Amino acid sequence: MGENERRYFEEIQVGEEYVSPGRTVTEADIVMFAGLSGDYNVLHTDAEFMKTSIFGERIAHGLLGLAIQSGLLTRGMRPYATLALLGLRWKFKGPIKIGDTIRVKARVSDKRETSKKDRGIITLERQVLNQRGEVVQDGETDVMVERRGG
Amino acid sequence: MSRQQRVWYFDDVPLDLRVESPAWTVTEGDVLRYVGLSGDWESRTTDDGFARQSEAGTRVVPELLPLCLAIGLGWRNPHPPLVVLAFMGVEWNVLLPLKVGDTVRSRSWAVAKRAMKDGGVVVEEHEILNQRGEVVQSGKLRFLVAKRPMA
Repeated sequence: MGENERRYFEEIQVGEEYVSPGRTVTEADIVMFAGLSGDYNVLHTDAEFMKTSIFGERIAHGLLGLAIQSGLLTRGMRPYATLALLGLRWKFKGPIKIGDTIRVKARVSDKRETSKKDRGIITLERQVLNQRGEVVQDGETDVMVERRGG
Repeated sequence: MSRQQRVWYFDDVPLDLRVESPAWTVTEGDVLRYVGLSGDWESRTTDDGFARQSEAGTRVVPELLPLCLAIGLGWRNPHPPLVVLAFMGVEWNVLLPLKVGDTVRSRSWAVAKRAMKDGGVVVEEHEILNQRGEVVQSGKLRFLVAKRPMA
C-alpha cells in the first residue's frame, strides 16, 4: 500500500497515534504570515517594543503555529480521505519564539457516524511541543472523512 | 476615553458592539502562500484534476486560511485595536466551503469580559461572511487584553 494512499473512515481506528517531524520557526515565517493574514500586531512585528514585553522578543502568531502544525502533521501520517475540516477547539498555552523548533503529536480520540452513510467524523487530539518538550498549543480538530464504499 | 486614543484597553472594550471588517477577496495567491507557508498540501486544495472529480467539483480554500484572514481584517475594524497581550484560544466551526474568488469579511463582537490581575480576558464572537452574506465560518476567540497603564 502506497505511503500517500488516502485512508478511509472505516480504516482509521480510535487510539492511533501520529508524530510529525520538527520544524524550526523562523523570522521569515512570521513576516510571511503577517503579510498573508494582515495581522501586523506589534507582538509579531516590532522587535524593539517586544524587548519591553513579558516575552522579551517577538513571538509567532498563534494562528501561524496552528497552520504550521497542520502542515507538519501531514508529514507524520498517511493522508485521510478528507472531505472537509469541520472545526477545532484550540488553546495557545505558551509563546513560539524565533528559532524554536516545534513538532506535533496527535491521537485519534473519537470517530462517529453521520446521517450521511458515505462519510464519518474523526476527532484528533493534538499537542504542539517545542524543543524543550513544553506544550505550546493543544486542542482537537474534527475532520469529515469519506468511507471507502462512499 | 479621549478622542486621541488609538487603542482600546480592557476597560474600553464594550460588550455586544457589532463591527464589520472590510472585505478580502480570497485569491489563488492567498491559497498558494498559505499552503506554502503551512506546508499543508492537500489534493482537495491544490490538485485541480483531483478536485474536479470530488464532491465540491473544484478546489476548495484551506479552512484555516479564512480564520487567518479574519484575524488580520479585525485590525482594520472601525474601532481602535485591542492591546492584546496574548491570544489564548479559539473554538471554531466551518459551516460552508469557500472557493477562490469568494470575498470574505468578518463580523465580531465581545460577548464576555473577565478582569484579572494584569489585564483581562475578552471573549469575542466572530463570523466570517461571504459575498452573499452567508456565514461560512464562526466561533469564539479568547484574548488576554492589557489594563490601562497607571497615569
